[in-house]
Amino acid sequence: MEKDLITELNSDLEKVSNPDDLKRIYDKYLGKEGLIKSELKKLKGLSPEERRIKGPQIQSLQAKAQELFDKAQQDTMQKKTEKTLEEQRESLDESVPKVGHLHPITQTVRMLNRVFESMGYSVMEGPEIETDEYCFKRLNVPENHPARDMQDTIYIQEPNILLRTQASSVEARILESYKPPFKVVVPGRVYRNEKVNKSNHFIFHHYQGVVVLERTNLKDLFGTFTHLFKQMYGEDVIVRFRNKYYPEVEPGVGLDMQCFNCKGQGCALCKNIGWIEMGGAGMVHPKALEMAGIDRSKWMAFAFALGLDRWVMARYEITDIRTLLGGNLAYKTDKNENTL
Amino acid sequence: MKILYSQIKELVPGLKAQDGSEDKKVHEICDAFTLIGHMVDGFEKIKYQGKDDYLISLEIRQNRADCLSVIGIAYEVAAYFRLRVELLKVETKEAEGKIDIKVNTGETIKRIRALEITGAKNAESPAWLQELLKFHDINPINLLVDLSNYVMIYTGYPSHLLDKDKIKGTLFWSINDKFEQITTLDGSKIKLGKDEIILEDDKNILALAGIVGGNVAEIDLNSNHIIAEMAIYDRAKVRKNARDLVISTEASTRLEKDLDPNGIDYAMNMLCGLIEEYCPSAKIEKEFSYYPQPRKSPEIKLRPSSPSRFAGIEITPEQSVKILRDLRFEVEKSDERYIVTPPTDRMDVELEEDVVEEILRIYGFDKIPTDQVPTLEVVKDITPAIINLDEKIRDVLSAKSYDEVLSWPLTNKSVNEKVNYANWQMITTQNSVNDEFPDLRMSIATGLVNQLDQYRKKNVEFIDIFEIGKVFGKIDGKYAERESLGVLSCKNKKDLNGFKKVIEGTLRTAGLDSVSYKKSAKVPENANPHSCWDIVADEQNIGIIYKFRSTDPKEHIYFAEINLGKALDLIKISDVKSVFELKEKIITLDANVELLRQNPKVSSRSGGSKTPPSGVEINKDESIENYLAKIKQKIDPKHLWNIRIVDKFAIDGAMRYTVRASYLELSDQQAKKLHLETFGLS
Repeated sequence: MEKDLITELNSDLEKVSNPDDLKRIYDKYLGKEGLIKSELKKLKGLSPEERRIKGPQIQSLQAKAQELFDKAQQDTMQKKTEKTLEEQRESLDESVPKVGHLHPITQTVRMLNRVFESMGYSVMEGPEIETDEYCFKRLNVPENHPARDMQDTIYIQEPNILLRTQASSVEARILESYKPPFKVVVPGRVYRNEKVNKSNHFIFHHYQGVVVLERTNLKDLFGTFTHLFKQMYGEDVIVRFRNKYYPEVEPGVGLDMQCFNCKGQGCALCKNIGWIEMGGAGMVHPKALEMAGIDRSKWMAFAFALGLDRWVMARYEITDIRTLLGGNLAYKTDKNENTL
Repeated sequence: MKILYSQIKELVPGLKAQDGSEDKKVHEICDAFTLIGHMVDGFEKIKYQGKDDYLISLEIRQNRADCLSVIGIAYEVAAYFRLRVELLKVETKEAEGKIDIKVNTGETIKRIRALEITGAKNAESPAWLQELLKFHDINPINLLVDLSNYVMIYTGYPSHLLDKDKIKGTLFWSINDKFEQITTLDGSKIKLGKDEIILEDDKNILALAGIVGGNVAEIDLNSNHIIAEMAIYDRAKVRKNARDLVISTEASTRLEKDLDPNGIDYAMNMLCGLIEEYCPSAKIEKEFSYYPQPRKSPEIKLRPSSPSRFAGIEITPEQSVKILRDLRFEVEKSDERYIVTPPTDRMDVELEEDVVEEILRIYGFDKIPTDQVPTLEVVKDITPAIINLDEKIRDVLSAKSYDEVLSWPLTNKSVNEKVNYANWQMITTQNSVNDEFPDLRMSIATGLVNQLDQYRKKNVEFIDIFEIGKVFGKIDGKYAERESLGVLSCKNKKDLNGFKKVIEGTLRTAGLDSVSYKKSAKVPENANPHSCWDIVADEQNIGIIYKFRSTDPKEHIYFAEINLGKALDLIKISDVKSVFELKEKIITLDANVELLRQNPKVSSRSGGSKTPPSGVEINKDESIENYLAKIKQKIDPKHLWNIRIVDKFAIDGAMRYTVRASYLELSDQQAKKLHLETFGLS
């Protein structure tokens, strides 16, 4: 009997295709009215001797049936899970996501900002439509001063309203508006009335800075810029500081970097000089401080201006300045497209 | 400024190569020039008069008119190498007679000296002179003119020679009020304005003073009776005249800078001495002198500590004094300070800082350490919030796969008219370098559209671009500029809502939470009028979003522009904390909003059980976004998780929206009460 029941149970379990089948089989064999329960009930009518022999046989049959049932139930659940997983299956497609980019000017400004911020500088901005007063007069560039030869101005309303020729105009506003001490950099767009060609543009970018402290000097300025050049171009960079005239500063400083292309030997890039002029700097002119109401006996100040476009062109190997603003600048849609 | 090495050596005879290598010495001098402020921008080994020589090209400091001369350069070299300058000895030239000259120019002339010379028989110049002038990029003309140019190169002072026999009557220096044109020495005809300083006689204009001579009294090979004049003008006036007439000459380049009027004596004596030497029968007959206010050097107080204070290194007073004396400055001790008097040709030295610069540049910038990063001195961070906002937006948009471009802020009227949507007037520049682009952009769209065209021409795919920059306009007569964000996306299928999510997501990340839209008050010409909305936050218009007009059904171009200054103001006043501690479960309740043409109706349900609708009136022109914005304002931010539209459908000519509001830190009853009150359902 035991063998027949187990064989029948196995046969039924093999045919199971869903949980309902399983329940039906459970009821048939192990349920209250099932075959095994009915065998157990029959024990009551047997003699003690027969029960002692038959009882363990039926209990063994029940345990065996339960074991078979549990295994079948587990198999059914596994099949169901696998089916669900199969149904939820997704595949990776081969499309490459587009990558967004920041403009090289922005990237360079950020690098510079990070270096200066690490030295405690704030970052400022200011108007591009300026007055003659802030663009020239407050920076010690009086009307018809020879320094204005260097700056052909685009006027909106000559002679007073113009497009700023230098980000120093923001320096003049900061000197006037904020109480020292402060350390500030000003990245910004400037305009000059120059013909556009491969090397010159009427719109370009300055990176201006001004520091007003109780005690600062050229050694601080030189140390600051050596640090900056090393951060930007590596430890081996060679920097030169020379005297240069700028009306806004006194003494004035020219900031040069040894030509990275020829290592100072002279080449077309550096016009055979061996050096590339990267910006100008100096101690803020006493007249500029006086006009801003800053006490010269208490405060000392240095300022600097970098021609950003040149820094960017060198860094990204861009040979035509017009590329930066003229629509020819493009980005690869995905920097990693060859690695997928 | 070009100069021969031999010309420097002639005046600084002590300048000798230590090891016999001239080449090395010249390079050493070039390095010195650059270090002390006159950058060498050209260097060439040449032969002059058959001998090896070097032609050095210098970028002379803008405020050093004295260095546009061999003498000035020689003084610089001598000071740096601590050597003496030996000038060519010249005799003082004087005459008893007086030339009939009248000066009618007010204060625009500082000094004039003129000499009338007879018997100055002209000829061709000697070969050495012709060769020398060519090295200085000056064409040889004839002996008298070439000697004049030679003196200019040597001393820095331009002179003007006139053929006396061609002058009619008296010579006048005047402000032009009658001549409309001058024909110059090279035959060019220049149209004049009405306020140039001129040299004229009773009949003709003879020269544009300080700039170029006229051909009426031109020196030719037959000239032998001449007037030689040197003058110093108000440099600003010369500069203005030269710029207005678009002329730049050797004379104007020098005279529009500060030249010392005292130097005229040496230069004129040298010129006359050379004329006498090369024209043996020459005789100075008459002279004229005008010098109403002779120049005196300033006396400048110098604190002995100042050079060290500016340099950041120790420079002793003795070292400073030695340098100043090498530069020909007079130095006297007075109490605790020095009184420093520069030579009169050093017009650039007026203040103590100027004197300090003189000391430092000769002491050597290369002696100041460059490897010491200043000690960090903590000062207040005054970075304005707009800088951080710009940076954040750039990051968000690039993370959303948008590329940043920068474009020209100058454009033209027709482009501006197509993209402007703001209530302001266009600003036009007076002298833009490019006639095609004289106007300032009124929207960032100008540059992004141009970039789009460029990319399409060059087959660039996936055009999603943005720019942050200034836009400009005139409001109530005042010039205004705004920091603006422009975003443009070009798609090959309709995706306005995808684009909207980019813009809205960017603004939300930047901190601007309550963004809604309403039909644009002013639709730009470029926009499809059916797809153009103003972007609104806290009931303020902060920008625009629209689809471009397009005739190509396969191309869909979307553009949005945000006034970042305005957005920033709203971000600053928003005090909603985005981080909180979740202590209770979030309770979500729905409300059905019927947006009728006249009146919207609102009904509420929770957990699927509907309650009878009750009507609530809102402005019939109001959008659902505005309605929700107002609803949000009614709820304490600390109890609102979010509020959004989860479904919408048309019913009986009205739009029904299912609005889902989720509440924080409230019991079920409290949330339901708040919900009903907020939506006007209680």
